[in-house]
Amino acid sequence: MALVDLDFPEQLERFGVDTALECFNCGTCAAICPLIHEHFPRKIIRYAQLGAKDRILQESDELWRCLHCGLCTYTCPREADPGELILGLRRYVIAKWRGRADV
Amino acid sequence: MFKPRDIIELIADNVKKTRNPFGVPNLLMNRWWKGLDLPAEGDVMLFTGLMYQSVPYIEMTTRHLERYEDSALEDYVRYGRYMPKFLVGLGLALLSSKEEKKKSADMLHSIAKVLAKSKVDFFYSPELDHYSGVLLYDLGDIDGFIRHASFVADTLREKGVKKLITVDPHTTYALKVLYPKHVGETFEVKTYFELINFRGENGTKQVTLHDPCMYGRYLEMSDVPTKVLANMGIECVAVRNSGKFTNCCGGPVESISPKLSKEILHRRAEELKSTGAPVVTMCPICMTHLKKGGVEVEDLSTLINRCA
Repeated sequence: MALVDLDFPEQLERFGVDTALECFNCGTCAAICPLIHEHFPRKIIRYAQLGAKDRILQESDELWRCLHCGLCTYTCPREADPGELILGLRRYVIAKWRGRADV
Repeated sequence: MFKPRDIIELIADNVKKTRNPFGVPNLLMNRWWKGLDLPAEGDVMLFTGLMYQSVPYIEMTTRHLERYEDSALEDYVRYGRYMPKFLVGLGLALLSSKEEKKKSADMLHSIAKVLAKSKVDFFYSPELDHYSGVLLYDLGDIDGFIRHASFVADTLREKGVKKLITVDPHTTYALKVLYPKHVGETFEVKTYFELINFRGENGTKQVTLHDPCMYGRYLEMSDVPTKVLANMGIECVAVRNSGKFTNCCGGPVESISPKLSKEILHRRAEELKSTGAPVVTMCPICMTHLKKGGVEVEDLSTLINRCA
């Protein structure tokens, strides 16, 4: 079971990401990603949309598998910028690790 | 896989204290210009961003990370940041290969030579040439990136430098896109191969160009080196996945997981080898990494210099 926080996509704007809700989970990003790894980045983007913050933090190390190669962003049919979303989530997780008061 | 948090905090601490990701003093790392007699003042500055100079250090640190990944010693990475920087820096500087240092200096020499051959007026000042901080940005340490990039931008602004010639895709992307967006500082940025305006040849007829992700996709510049090579009588043999659809070499995850980065590397290496033509690239990270995958790869700068 995971707790959801539907305001999370809005909170992500502070981390430079305002496209979380554009994604309709088609999986093009996971298909083109060179990692070929457990629906990356589709799954973690779904967590971001739902605000499943505990899951994001539990599985946070996965975020750093991303090569930042930009193929997902280049091919996303919704222009949801999945590569930038992963970067935004990295920023969020680092802020949590460093105990930033506003997250 | 190393714990990203340990690696990020180690790199962030190194950049904070020594202004580069390795904890090596810039003075020890940046020596390619010695004996070249380059102008120290002018309108346009050659800004290397210390990426080519990093090659010997990347080569050595990743070799060690490879040994310790998934071993009992993996967790000790976190203690790296408590080591005095002068000790780590000096150790790295002494242990890194002299041959690799010479090779990376040769590439920068080639760049300076082809710019001179193209009659480009430029100056070089080692005191103003800093690492861009782009790895901090890529790893998600946006605060660390902004802090470091502001220092770099302030240093250039104070000296009135507005025009820069870059030499690698990561620094080019940082200065062209990230600095205006995150630091509010805009420079006129050209990469060296955009400025080459001579023709020549050296007997090479065909090469395969590995487009780095930053040039191919982020900056959409793949056609520029192809045209430069065409002017040297060199044809670029098509490789599966190039230009905007270029495939990553795997280099960017090398610090977090050498194993994962090798998986990605082998796929790209096979694609490149299958063309049968010698491979050329214009990114020091891609070049170092592709060599590990058994690809014979030359930097664009030395190839062009041999045509000059």
